[in-house]
Amino acid sequence: MDLILEYQAQLLSGTWVTIQLALISLVFAVMFGLLGAWAKLSKNFLAQKTAVAYTTIVRGVPDLVLILLVFYGGQQMINSFGAMTGLWGYVEISQFAAGAGTIGVVFGGYMTETFRGAILAIPRGQIEAGIACGMNRLTIFRRVIWPQMVRYALPGFSNNWLVQIKSTALVSVIGLQDVVYNGFVAGRSTRQLFTFMFAVLMIYLVLTAISDLGLRWLDRRYSKGIVRSDNG
Amino acid sequence: MSEVDGESGGESGSEQAALEVVDLHKSFGNVEVIRGVSLSAHKGDVISILGASGSGKSTFLRCINLLEIPTAGDVYVAGEKIRMKNGKAGTYVPEDIHQVERLRARLGMVFQSFNLWSHMTVIENVIEAPIHVLKIPRAQAIEEAEALMHKVGIYDRKDYYPAQLSGGQQQRVAIARGLAMNPEVMLFDEPTSALDPELVGEVLKVMRDLAEEGRTMLVVTHEMSFARDVSSSVVFLHKGMIEEQGAPQQMFKDPNSDRFRQFLSRTMQ
Repeated sequence: MDLILEYQAQLLSGTWVTIQLALISLVFAVMFGLLGAWAKLSKNFLAQKTAVAYTTIVRGVPDLVLILLVFYGGQQMINSFGAMTGLWGYVEISQFAAGAGTIGVVFGGYMTETFRGAILAIPRGQIEAGIACGMNRLTIFRRVIWPQMVRYALPGFSNNWLVQIKSTALVSVIGLQDVVYNGFVAGRSTRQLFTFMFAVLMIYLVLTAISDLGLRWLDRRYSKGIVRSDNG
Repeated sequence: MSEVDGESGGESGSEQAALEVVDLHKSFGNVEVIRGVSLSAHKGDVISILGASGSGKSTFLRCINLLEIPTAGDVYVAGEKIRMKNGKAGTYVPEDIHQVERLRARLGMVFQSFNLWSHMTVIENVIEAPIHVLKIPRAQAIEEAEALMHKVGIYDRKDYYPAQLSGGQQQRVAIARGLAMNPEVMLFDEPTSALDPELVGEVLKVMRDLAEEGRTMLVVTHEMSFARDVSSSVVFLHKGMIEEQGAPQQMFKDPNSDRFRQFLSRTMQ
């Protein structure tokens, strides 16, 4: 315990990095997910095929391989392109950007499927009712689709999010000082790996427990109009 | 009285029609389900559209507010033509979606399966389009919605969600939602077909009241007594064309076409 207190600054700063990484990659994932779901459901051939290719690829390869590829390979590619065209000088991708971007893109693939299923679960007639009232597409999305989509998407979304928080641990491999990296370094230098890894484990558990509370609140908020079996 | 004329165009007639449909066609793939139907509804007309299943009556109704895009033909709402143009590969598409949205807002629609928004309460369903489409102030929309909910007898359920209501109650809410737009014409697409038999009466009663008030209504229905007793004219569709039309008293007593005669004998036992 004393040891952990001694290293609490490192652990806390690592935790903060993990939280930031998880939240920022979540924003990316939701954006890519919405875009992907829209593309998959659109009548535009090109958009549809692009989205299919996107989800097939990112869901079909290991996150770790993609992170390594983007961080090392991506940096190389950007720099050789910059050198070739003379458009920019040496660019360095930060570990944070590579991690947040890659995890966002990967989980955007999972979110695409979650959101697509949720949109399809909304009875078509409710959308037609909006059309018949003269609503434009944006109003229909905002007032009819979105509130119900969130409810249908929430179980899948919760799953994705919990896996996503845990996936941020992979970014320690490219040297980002998240909670895993800092815990590992502290554990090795004190030769108390068990203690520190256990502390890291507990930190993740706290983070996911807090998320769970938030998700339950969202579920209540978006379950308006649902007759549950106990009072129906 | 109604005047259902097949030939004339949009601006004809002494009085402007609330709704006029001219030579409407609709195909799904190679199958033409509506083959040139024209009708006009003047203010206060209640037109029942009858026909066997597959006769195209629901499709016809859905073409009027462009839930289905017709393959050819014109629709006029209060004299204003919905402008169409030829799109890619010979398709027929609306020229201006904003115009379509504006005119849709002037046609109330009631669906067979109610289609209430399940995440909104009764009153939220009724005020939704007035606020977000017509941009009416919320307080005014609520006031008008309350009057409508009294009219359809659902006021005591105003804070319930659709899932907590019976089918008949849901359909009455849907009627109130349509009326809240203060439409030129109310379109009813088999409004009682999804209801348990004991709930049909309460919905028909509301529709009767609307007819008596002078609402202009187009009703696709299987309710023969409604068609006979309430409507001002009846249109019988068969295979996507008007087989017979006229005043209900005359049509039900002495049908001209054999098909309508057969249809009556099958449905009125």
